[in-house]
Amino acid sequence: MALDENRRRNQIFSIVAVACLFLFLWSMHLFADDYQIRILNNIGLFIILAVSYNLINGVTGQFSLEPNAFIAIGAYTSALLTLTPAEKEMAFIIEPIIWPLSVISVPFVVSLVAAGIVTAFFGFLMGFPVFRVRGDYLAIVTLGFGEVVRVIANNTQTITNGPLGLKGLASYTNIWWTWGLAIFTVFFISRLVRSSFGMAMKAVKYDEAAAEAVGINAFWHKMLAFTTSAFFEGIGGGLLAHLITTISPTLFTFFLTFNLLIMIVAGGLGSITGSVIAAVIITWGGEALRIVEEPMDLGFVEIPGIPGMRMVLFSFILILVMIFARQGLMGTREFSWNGLQNRLLAWKGRYLKAG
Amino acid sequence: MDFFTVRNLTMRFGGLVAVNDFDITLEPGEIVGLIGPNGAGKTTVFNMIAGYYVPTAGTIHFRGKQLNGRKANEITKSGIARTFQNIRLFTELTVAENVMIAYHCRIRSSFFGAAFRLPLYRREEKAMYEGSLAFLEEVGLQDLAREQAGSLPYGKQRRLEIARALATGPELLLLDEPAAGMNPNETQDLLKLILALREKYKLTVFLIEHDMKFVMQLCERIKVLDYGTTIAEGTPEEIQQNERVIEAYLGEG
Repeated sequence: MALDENRRRNQIFSIVAVACLFLFLWSMHLFADDYQIRILNNIGLFIILAVSYNLINGVTGQFSLEPNAFIAIGAYTSALLTLTPAEKEMAFIIEPIIWPLSVISVPFVVSLVAAGIVTAFFGFLMGFPVFRVRGDYLAIVTLGFGEVVRVIANNTQTITNGPLGLKGLASYTNIWWTWGLAIFTVFFISRLVRSSFGMAMKAVKYDEAAAEAVGINAFWHKMLAFTTSAFFEGIGGGLLAHLITTISPTLFTFFLTFNLLIMIVAGGLGSITGSVIAAVIITWGGEALRIVEEPMDLGFVEIPGIPGMRMVLFSFILILVMIFARQGLMGTREFSWNGLQNRLLAWKGRYLKAG
Repeated sequence: MDFFTVRNLTMRFGGLVAVNDFDITLEPGEIVGLIGPNGAGKTTVFNMIAGYYVPTAGTIHFRGKQLNGRKANEITKSGIARTFQNIRLFTELTVAENVMIAYHCRIRSSFFGAAFRLPLYRREEKAMYEGSLAFLEEVGLQDLAREQAGSLPYGKQRRLEIARALATGPELLLLDEPAAGMNPNETQDLLKLILALREKYKLTVFLIEHDMKFVMQLCERIKVLDYGTTIAEGTPEEIQQNERVIEAYLGEG
C-alpha cells in the first residue's frame, strides 16, 4: 500500500476505462440480441458475487462455503419487497403471506439496499458462532448454514411461499444495474483491500498469531470481511431474483456456491482482478462451449450432440488451470496501472532497443 | 505503582508443569534476560505474558492493570510488544507493509472512511507510511521497504520483526531469542541496536536468549529457569558463578 506518486494519473486512467466499458455496454444495449444481453447480465452478476466471496475466502483466508445462503436471503428479501400486495396474494395460494410483508411494496433500488442490509445483518449474526472455529471446521459449519437457509426457505410457507417459490417478479435487472453494481463492488472491495483494514485482513490470513501480536483483533476483522461479503452477496441475490424473475429454494443449492468457488480459485484466491477475470471467462465460456454439445461433422466421423459435453470439457480446462497455474490465473497479484506501465516499459526495453 | 509485576505464574499442560510459580518485577528502562536449558519454559512465560496462553494460576500486572486473561491483541495495545522465536513475519507483504500493519489498531478512521479514502484516512495512511519508514531506518532496512518480507535474509527478518514490534508503540518489549541464527558480527550489531532503541524509545526489554555472551553483555539482571522453576536470579556476574546454573546447563560434576 505504499503511497503512489501517480495517483492522479491512475485515477484518470480508471475513469477512462470505466467510460470505455460503458460505451461498450451502450453499443451492446443497442445492437446485441437478448441472448447476448443475458450473458452480459450474468457476467456482471457473477463479478459481484465472486469478488465479494473472495473477500472472505481469499483476502481474509477464511475458507467458508455459505454464499448460496447469502444470495438466497438477498433474493428473497428483494423479491418480497418488490412484489405488489395483489401479486403476493395471488402467489401465496396454500397459506397467505404474513403481515407486514403482505402490504409492503417498494421500488427496486430500495429493495436492493434492503437485501444488502438484511443479508449483512444475518452474516453478522452468523459470524459469532462461525468464527469460533477455523479451517475445515469453518468450511463445514458454513456449508451447514447454507443448507439450513435453503431448508428454512422451503418450509416457511407464510414468508417464502415454500417450495412453490416466488414467480412473476418484474424483470428490473438490466445491464446498467448489473454492471453499475459490479463496478461499485469492485471499486469498494479493492479500495478496502488496499486500505489498512485490508492489510489487517491479509495479516489474519497469513499468520493469525502474528496479527494478534501487532494488535489486530482477528475475530473482528473476520467479522468485517464476512459482513461486507454478505452485504454484496445479498445485493447480488436481489439482482439475480429480478433477472430470472422466478426464485425457489432449489435455485440456492450448494451448486451455486460451488460455481463461485471455482471462479475465485481459478482466478486466484485473494486477487480481485483474478476473480473478475475468472467470472468473465467462466460465465462467458460456459455459454461459448455450448457448440461442443451440438452434432458435429468432422468429415471422417460424425459426432451426435452429447448433452453435458461442455461440462466435461470445462472440468478438463479447470484441471489444466490447476496444473499450470497452481495459484490460479493471478495468484494474489492485482492489476494496477503502475504494473501495466512497468510491463510496457520492460517490453519496450526488450524489443525496441534500436528505437 | 509497579511498572510490571508477575506473581506466582503457573502453567500446566495436563500433568506437565511447564512453568511453576514464576515471579518477576521489572523497573522501567531495565534490560532483563530469561535463560535456561531447552524446554525450561521460557517461551511459555512469554506466551502467558503476551496473552497466547491463559495461565493456570498467578497474576500479571502492567501499569496497575491486570493483564492475565486478556487477549493478545489487547495486551499489545496496552503497550507490550513481542517478537517470536521462529520469526513470524507476513512474508507475502512488503517490508514497509509489515510495519504499517502495526499502526492499524490505532487508526481513528472507520471502516468506511478507509474504504472511501476520506481525508482523515489519507492523512493517517501518510503518517503510517512515513512512520514505518522511520522505524525501518532505525533498524537499517529503509532501502528494502518495497521488497517482499519473505525474501529478506534471516538476520534482516529478525530486525524487521523488531521494527514491527516497535511500531505498535510499546513500553515493554519481549524479545524471544533475537540473536538466534546470527553470526557474531550480526549479534554485536543487534546488541548495539537494542541499547540504542532502549534509549530512544524509553523501552523496558525482557528477552530470552541462548547466546550467553550476548546475554551477559546486554542484560542488567538475569533470571534462570530450569524445568519450569526459577533456579537463580541476579546480575550477570552472579549468574556466571552460580552452582545451580552451571549444574542445570552442564549436568552434575
